[in-house]
Amino acid sequence: MRYDTVIIGGGLAGLVAGLSLQQSGRSTAIVSMEQNALPFFSGSFESLTEAPERLSSLLAGAGIRLHYHPGVRLMPLGTFRKATLSLEDVSLLAEPRFAEKALILNVPGYIDFFTAFLAEGLERQGIQCRVSTLDLPVMAEDGLAELSSVHLARILDSKWEWVVRQVRLLLQDEDAVILPQIFGLEDPSIPERIRQGIPARVVFVGTQPPSVPGIRTQLLLKRRFGELGGTYLGEEEVVDARVENGIVRSVHTRGPGGNVLEAAHFILASGSFFSKGLRSNPFRVFEPVFGLDVDASEDRNAWYNDDFASDQPYMQYGVRTDAALHPLVEGRPLQNLFAIGSVLGGTRPEFGSGAGLAVRSAFAAVDEILV
Amino acid sequence: MMDPKEFDVIILGGGIVGAGTMRDCAMRGLRALLIERADIATGATGRNHGLLHSGARYAVNDPDSAAECIRENEILRRIASHCIDPTDGLFISLPEDDLSYQDTFVSACRASGIRAEIIDPALARRLEPSVNPDLIGAVRVPDASVNPFRLCASNMVDAKLHGGQVRLRTEVTGFLREGDAIRGVRTRNVQTGRETEYRAPVVVNACGVWSGQVARMAGVSVSMSPSKGALLIFADRVNKLVINRCRKPSDADILVPGDAVCIIGTTSTRVPLENCHRVSVTPDEVTLLVTEGAKLAPALSETRILRAFAGVRPLVSDTGDPMGRNISRGVVCLDHETRDGLKGLVTITGGKLTTYRLMAEMATDLVCRKLGVDKPCETAQTPLPGSDGRRYEDVARRIWEAPAPARKTTVSPWDDILVCGCEKVSVQEVNNAVERMGVSSLTDLRRRTRVGMGICQGEQCACRAAGLLAKAQDCAERERADLLKFMGERWKGNYPIGWGDSLGEAEYTQLVYKHVLGL
Repeated sequence: MRYDTVIIGGGLAGLVAGLSLQQSGRSTAIVSMEQNALPFFSGSFESLTEAPERLSSLLAGAGIRLHYHPGVRLMPLGTFRKATLSLEDVSLLAEPRFAEKALILNVPGYIDFFTAFLAEGLERQGIQCRVSTLDLPVMAEDGLAELSSVHLARILDSKWEWVVRQVRLLLQDEDAVILPQIFGLEDPSIPERIRQGIPARVVFVGTQPPSVPGIRTQLLLKRRFGELGGTYLGEEEVVDARVENGIVRSVHTRGPGGNVLEAAHFILASGSFFSKGLRSNPFRVFEPVFGLDVDASEDRNAWYNDDFASDQPYMQYGVRTDAALHPLVEGRPLQNLFAIGSVLGGTRPEFGSGAGLAVRSAFAAVDEILV
Repeated sequence: MMDPKEFDVIILGGGIVGAGTMRDCAMRGLRALLIERADIATGATGRNHGLLHSGARYAVNDPDSAAECIRENEILRRIASHCIDPTDGLFISLPEDDLSYQDTFVSACRASGIRAEIIDPALARRLEPSVNPDLIGAVRVPDASVNPFRLCASNMVDAKLHGGQVRLRTEVTGFLREGDAIRGVRTRNVQTGRETEYRAPVVVNACGVWSGQVARMAGVSVSMSPSKGALLIFADRVNKLVINRCRKPSDADILVPGDAVCIIGTTSTRVPLENCHRVSVTPDEVTLLVTEGAKLAPALSETRILRAFAGVRPLVSDTGDPMGRNISRGVVCLDHETRDGLKGLVTITGGKLTTYRLMAEMATDLVCRKLGVDKPCETAQTPLPGSDGRRYEDVARRIWEAPAPARKTTVSPWDDILVCGCEKVSVQEVNNAVERMGVSSLTDLRRRTRVGMGICQGEQCACRAAGLLAKAQDCAERERADLLKFMGERWKGNYPIGWGDSLGEAEYTQLVYKHVLGL
């Protein structure tokens, strides 16, 4: 099969690049192992602080609305972190003391939302807290062993109005209500509709992964990519590539539809270690598909900091590229391959990190391809 | 409530020997108090293979130890069935091994009363598909896998049921002395700083590798010779049977299955006493363990390593006993009255996990002699709570049960929700441990419930468990620090083996805890 561009990796970087190219009329295929960082997506593009027009309009096409307001957001363990550009359901707060009194609500039996930590964190800011539980008899199934955010969101998507009524009943004189981010698995308008229904400021706070906003973002971007005519090959792994004279001719996949995919351009958006975009053995860190040059220490002892809380050197490792994001093999660029997202690690600090790195590097590669 | 301060016997050390001694003393009707500086099973008890020796490993070089092991092995299968997985073990000969050693080995086993059966290599491959297919010989012996945390806690629970008391996180700061007799101990609670004196006519020093330091506090000398052993945990139960090499005991020649994992070990390196509380594993030791381990079961070289850890064996270099009569085949039971002229102090050390009950019996016999009590030891006949379905079922189920969902009582529909999916630990188990097992940190909880010990190494469960602890103890601020400390401790065992999938998991954990949760 032949495409204009084949993208390896279906995380945020790969999807943003794929949508942009497909929207510009380029036939695009995304090959994804379905193991990316979107299930960790907080909903905030932390390192993206510039005006986000291009991203906003791209995501709006997929039904995803962003808002932009420099401030902080409340983290799951009760701390605060700077945030500027976020999905609409992430509450951007002007300051950590955003209310006088807060009502923190959980659903029964759900242990991935950390009410005790949140209460302590808010009380430290001088916000008085009350912790309570929504009464949701509908979920009391027997033998329930797992209650994940996604499981809950699937149940609650059709019952959000009932949640609103419950919150109204529980609310006393609090001016803020803290709810877990378990609303709107498919419909991004639900969090905003819950906000409108409750006579206090509603702040949604993240849970243990998977993140519902992240899963939703993935779902909607994939759906939009398909609507635009893109080809999404899920649960397929690119295992090999054919390279001639510094030009990638094709990549070969293993999976349900094991394919040879040819294209004019290729984008490597395969992520870092846990997504298997980078691999390691006791002796080296390597990039498994193209054997690209990796910016990593040869001494394994230097990969780690023995203090868990410190930054870990290995997390900065990534593939080396030239200025146009062409990755290098033995110092020489592959002319029609681009590396984007976290497979770059910390090799391109000007792009930021995390979601910001994914978006900026994706746009940069797309611009190179569309020239 | 008043803290009762008068006892018949005080036992120092919350490892398996201290717990077993406390149980034996309490069963003989003594008012027993156990004092532990940190938590249960923090020393060698919690840092080993989890192997219930058949004794075969010692048969050739130390027949007395071998005979002790097989007797205790059979006793523990009866009294602690809930802690033991009766896997059996293989002693395999590889092409580079001398097959004639097998005959020496088998006759030595039989002389010590160990059932040792030479089996055909083809049968060995059928019984144990993971075994090195190149093996040229195999002997089947009654080795087994044992959960030392559960065994230790069961002993303590039973001692408590017999009226014994436990003070965790309490360190001994000195001995109370009257003339030539010990009359008790001075202690300090390491959390509250509160100082308390406890009095008893006999004190048992069961402090494992720290026995020497405690003895010195009483003015007598016990020379310990600590020996570090490095081990690796693999993220899959590769083998069904314990696999040993049929040759003279050496490094990395035992592979023990345990729950959902398996453990390869060990090494033997002298360590200075002052480093015993912070031993770690070097990259060279990791290489040795992986290389030698793969000779037992080649699949190990393709299996993810979960973590590296090390324990310190409490070996005794010199008992200082001119008569030598107390040197009992690795087990050292010292009566400081006859040895040093100091009344009221007993030291029990050396030995191994498999022989803990016998060590406890020896120490308790001595205590009883001193107190003029002639009640016989019954620990070899009386099942531990949890292993006997009738007598202690309620207690065992609530306090220390095998995590089998069918045996749980359901209090609320949410109590069966799993905090830890790898080790199948439910909300109810965590809450019970917090309420009844003296848990004040995630590490305490890990020792009692296995939270964080599974394949995910705390990635999924540590935060959930911390949330429950914060709620139960109503102190989120302390719990946040505890969570960070716990993750740090997990990482110490992960980075020495941080490559391949383990590095991917480590990165995942960093993203979850720092990026998503904001720890």
